[in-house]
Amino acid sequence: MRASHVAAFAQLVVSTILLGGIYALIAVGLTLIFGIMRVVNFAHGEYLMLGMYLAFWAFTLWQLDPYVVLFVAAPLFFLVGLMSYFLVMRGVITASHNVQIFTTVGLSIALQNLAQVLWTADFRIARPWHASVVVPFGGAAFNLSQFVAFAVAGALTLGLFVFMKWSHAGRVMRATAQDREAATLMGIDTDRVYRLTWAIGIACVGVAGVLMSPLYSVYPTAGLQFVLLAYVVVVLGGLGDMVGALLGSLIVAAVEVVGSYFLGIAWKEVLYFVLFILVLVFRPAGLLGQRGAETLGA
Amino acid sequence: MRRHLAAAIVFGAAALAPTVIEDAYLLDSLVLILMWGAVSAAWNVAGGYAGQLSLGHAAFFGLGAYSAALFATRWELSPWIGLLVGAVLSTGAGLVIGYLSNRLRGPYFALATIAFAQVLQIVASRWRGFTRGSEGIPVPFRPGFWTLGFANKATWVYLTLGVALLIYLVEVYLEVSRMGYRLAGVREDEDAAQAVGIASRRLKVVAIAISAALTSVCGSFWAQYVGFVDPAYVFSIDLSILFALNTIIGGLGTALGPFYGSVLITSLETFLRAKFSGLAAGLSSMYLIIYGCLLIVVVRFVPQGLALWLGQLLRRRIGVARA
Repeated sequence: MRASHVAAFAQLVVSTILLGGIYALIAVGLTLIFGIMRVVNFAHGEYLMLGMYLAFWAFTLWQLDPYVVLFVAAPLFFLVGLMSYFLVMRGVITASHNVQIFTTVGLSIALQNLAQVLWTADFRIARPWHASVVVPFGGAAFNLSQFVAFAVAGALTLGLFVFMKWSHAGRVMRATAQDREAATLMGIDTDRVYRLTWAIGIACVGVAGVLMSPLYSVYPTAGLQFVLLAYVVVVLGGLGDMVGALLGSLIVAAVEVVGSYFLGIAWKEVLYFVLFILVLVFRPAGLLGQRGAETLGA
Repeated sequence: MRRHLAAAIVFGAAALAPTVIEDAYLLDSLVLILMWGAVSAAWNVAGGYAGQLSLGHAAFFGLGAYSAALFATRWELSPWIGLLVGAVLSTGAGLVIGYLSNRLRGPYFALATIAFAQVLQIVASRWRGFTRGSEGIPVPFRPGFWTLGFANKATWVYLTLGVALLIYLVEVYLEVSRMGYRLAGVREDEDAAQAVGIASRRLKVVAIAISAALTSVCGSFWAQYVGFVDPAYVFSIDLSILFALNTIIGGLGTALGPFYGSVLITSLETFLRAKFSGLAAGLSSMYLIIYGCLLIVVVRFVPQGLALWLGQLLRRRIGVARA
């Protein structure tokens, strides 16, 4: 292999890993909600968009760095999550899939257009200093913001994994996901579990939005393109599986990076939707998920 | 019998309307109500009767719209041929997606159908040489039956009414036929249906294919009526949601439900759009906030559909009055 090939290869690998980190950031919250509540949150992308706007406005109005905003965003979005749980999700938790799907779709439409009314359809981007700090890595150059987003994604995924696996609350959440009725009989307050799950999931995606703000422009429908990707990641990784979400993110990122390299950026989206359909058809339980989950009406 | 009476009143009123109404704006609203009602009824064949909640039906709508538009512009042939080709293509696409997503239920099925429509949307917007890409295709107006060019809105009312009636009859067939009873069995309890020897998977695939073909026909008419197709709209997830939304609000798995839903939603949309259109660009999407909130409230409190609920309410009232 010639040196230029090695450099190109190294660049593809690093790009994949960094992009995968960003996708994982969006996907962990989604997979948590999907796994525990068995609800596909079609409004997930809109919370991401709100997170990006939060960072944008904090930077534009008060010159606050997104990494400072991060510490406010996590609790703030936890509260926003709690609020939307009480207002919207609580009433439909035992309802049919149709009802749940259309509730979150309605939420998505309302939030998207609320952003449109409040902030117009303009594309906006915040450029804090670290967005223009270039880090040479593997023969290519990357933004410092990309590395930070990746690091936080890793920490967040790991933290959630540990939380779900070893904390009491995590055990309770998993028990509820496995069998809601049995959990209720064991004295678990399932309403509280769902409340917590939803709020943590929304807090994660809010943080994701803040971290992504130096890298992508924000506009009212910004969430849509990312959330479709996040579904791919979540299904690929396996319902509710944190490590699966990370793995799925890397695979989707690899498909995207390699696909854009060989086919051009225009066709990369087709690639991952085709990948998505293939996964749904041949391994709908995901790479790490339990087989048969897709037919349980999950 | 009572149901057919309701249908006769609904469709009869639509048929009589052009003789009384001359206002172009009102007639346009009527065409849209019938059009969206018809597509939603076509969606209902899969979503309501077969219980396959698709969020990708814009794929079939777009295939129909593009077929009609491409035949009319690229080859200068009749959009009727485009309509037929679109219906055949959509039947094929329906068979493929129906077969592939056969095992999937609930949100998994919805996600698979979304992905399918997204693929078509991206292909249509990237394949510039053939589809003109995201620019879209303006469909020229050529008067005549063969070219589907009618300046008179009343003609469009009758045309869409015809399509609506056709799809309504397909739905009624699904309520009284052997196939319909089997589908209902599969929808309510697939395992039990399989246990009594119903080939549930094949049945669901057939239902999706029928639904796809009917949706495609509506798409072709829509392209001719509006005179413009672009991938961002005809393949959009918003459109897929609208089809499902009309049906759910009107009454899932009922023959007239999608039409009731369309009367409500389409007129609400036209009303709110007109109401907010004078405002600044951003504010004009106020109506979509209302629309989203309404959706949440309706599915939460009247999941069986507004039409059914209103009917029950009326009957109870009348019952009380008699007693």
